[in-house]
Amino acid sequence: MKMKTQRLYIALAVVFLIGIAIFAQTLILHEKRAKRHDILNKGNYLVSLIALHPIDDFAGEKRNFFVKTIAEQISSEGLIYCFIHDQAGNPLLALAPHDIEGKIPQDIQRRALYVDGLTQQTFKTIGANNVINEFAKPIFENGQKSGTVRLGFNLPSISLFTPQRVKLMAIMAFFAIAMAAFVYYGVTLALQPLREVNQNFKSMYVDSTPLSTDSVPNGGINEVIKDLEQSVVKLREKYSKIRAENVDLTTKCGVISFEKNNVFNILESINHGILVTDIQDNVSHMNSYMLNLLDKNRDDVIDHPLADVLGHDQITAFVLQQEALKQSKNASYIEATFPELAAGEIFQVSLSYLKGKEGAIIGKVISFKNITSEKTAERAKHEFVTNITHELLTPLTTINSYNEMLMDDEVDNKELQKEFYNTISEETGRLTRLVKNLLNISQIEMGSMTLNKGLVKSDWLFDDCITTVEGTAQKKKITIERNLPDNFPSLFGDKELLKVAIINILGNAVKYTPEDGHIRFTLSEQDDLVVFEVIDSGYGISKEDLPHIFDKFYRSTDSRITEQTGSGLGLALTSEIIRLHGGEIEVTSEPDEGSHFVIRLPKEEYYLGKQ
Amino acid sequence: MENNKRVLVIDDEVHIRRVIELKFKNQGYHVTTATNGEEGLDLIKTQKPDVVITDIMMPKLDGKTLCERANEFKKEWPFLTIVMTCRISPTEQEWIGKLEDTVFIEKPFSLSSILKCIDQYFGK
Repeated sequence: MKMKTQRLYIALAVVFLIGIAIFAQTLILHEKRAKRHDILNKGNYLVSLIALHPIDDFAGEKRNFFVKTIAEQISSEGLIYCFIHDQAGNPLLALAPHDIEGKIPQDIQRRALYVDGLTQQTFKTIGANNVINEFAKPIFENGQKSGTVRLGFNLPSISLFTPQRVKLMAIMAFFAIAMAAFVYYGVTLALQPLREVNQNFKSMYVDSTPLSTDSVPNGGINEVIKDLEQSVVKLREKYSKIRAENVDLTTKCGVISFEKNNVFNILESINHGILVTDIQDNVSHMNSYMLNLLDKNRDDVIDHPLADVLGHDQITAFVLQQEALKQSKNASYIEATFPELAAGEIFQVSLSYLKGKEGAIIGKVISFKNITSEKTAERAKHEFVTNITHELLTPLTTINSYNEMLMDDEVDNKELQKEFYNTISEETGRLTRLVKNLLNISQIEMGSMTLNKGLVKSDWLFDDCITTVEGTAQKKKITIERNLPDNFPSLFGDKELLKVAIINILGNAVKYTPEDGHIRFTLSEQDDLVVFEVIDSGYGISKEDLPHIFDKFYRSTDSRITEQTGSGLGLALTSEIIRLHGGEIEVTSEPDEGSHFVIRLPKEEYYLGKQ
Repeated sequence: MENNKRVLVIDDEVHIRRVIELKFKNQGYHVTTATNGEEGLDLIKTQKPDVVITDIMMPKLDGKTLCERANEFKKEWPFLTIVMTCRISPTEQEWIGKLEDTVFIEKPFSLSSILKCIDQYFGK
């Protein structure tokens, strides 16, 4: 670094000296030019002035005057010689050093004597090499050339180191050095902040460099510029890196923002109420579902105490209780209702704890899940199990009791005995049907139902179904009208399951038709379909019940229906069996007028004549 | 065999009504039957039976409501209520404990067990 600085100083000194030399040379040239110009003016003037006089003046009385005047000029104004020639070129007057004439080249004199106008010639004296400017002008009298005046001026030699010039140069050198010192000091001062900036730049890309002005290198401007260039390169690299990082961060921010929106949207679209609190139990988030449930605006709940927002003593007590028990590991829940806000609906309120990165609890998450349908289904299931138990145990009780009477010989009347045996048989059949229905519905639900398909003669199916229900129908004095076609189409299916399906329809018709009623059971063929129709004059089905009669466990609330035993499985099972056979079932009904069930099943191309 | 006790059988199941009726008539009881809870409650008021045998699941008025209402009459005259049920759960035990002279009999029961229950009540 020092070598560079020394070289710079030497270079500056050389430049300074060259500058001084050029300046001195310029001064000399300028002075020479000025002198030459001065001589030119003076020569022109003097020669013209002298040439104005008649030639005789230089030979007559005035000769001395001219001699004296010109002699003064020679001594003080650089005039070396003065020759005045007559018309023939003979010298009339010669004021010159004694040896000068012989040193003037002949062609110079000749040209001066024969030219009719003012001439100015520069030449070097022979032998001495002095540079002389000669001015010559002819003297005219009455239009005739009467003579020639020649004046020779010596071009003075100019010394570089004249006292005046040395003084001037010394002053100038002083001012130049002072200026240089001043400029140097100024530049140093000006560079100082630049160096600091450079150092700061460096500290930006070299993290280990301490940010201190003490270590700022005191280099020259080249070094500073070089450093600055390096700094700029490094800064560009740093900028590129930062820009790349910025792009990366922007992308990450975008991803985070997207994910945040996603989480928010999930919370918003979730079909539960979600309420989040901070560590002070103030609400920090509540999704739209929860806001709708509580009928509140977001601004009314955020940062408000949980207890105030909920206004639900049961849930508040639950939260406090859970907190007291410190059950932070597992979520716990209660069932709660909001009679004024959501009448008839049941919510499962779950509490879990919101944890930070280090596992510390930073709030609570309370979710509100509407479990009304689950509770309804649970209740329906419970009712179903109760019903089924009742339905199973009732025929068992009958069989058991009747059997007990028979075994105890308490029934000695033959007719009564027959009635008892029939009842036991009927109840056994009832029990069997119920168990089969349960098994079938269970298999259908599990998707494990296997159809034992074969050719089914529709008239046999028809007769089997009638036989099953006609005993009950007779007891109720219900007439069953049979409508049969001339030819009986065949079916391809599971005969036992098809019997279950049709008997469920027929059995319901008998069950829900009052005494002395009428049932029409029709078998027909329509295109490629075998159609069974059951039309009864029973209680009919209400408009409210009609869309649900094929739902599992569904039972009408009509007292005429509820007073009959039933599991709510029959029609659901029928619908599934018909569906499994590629058929369809439809029903039309009017309350108090009766119902009309139609079962359509694909037929097989196999006919039997009417038996 | 003559017995002055009056028995009311309430059940929507005809076969159960029928077999209990026959059994108790053979034992000399005066037996009346009803097909639903509403009809049964009317007969309790009018006939003031000594024994009421009732099912739980019945149309119009279920057995539990019937028992609760019948319990009010027991201040006027005491009678035994036998409730035929499928399952005696702790909830039902708790419920029946609040009623006067009311007992459960679980299905499927034997007719002799009902008779035994009645005999115990009347201190035979």
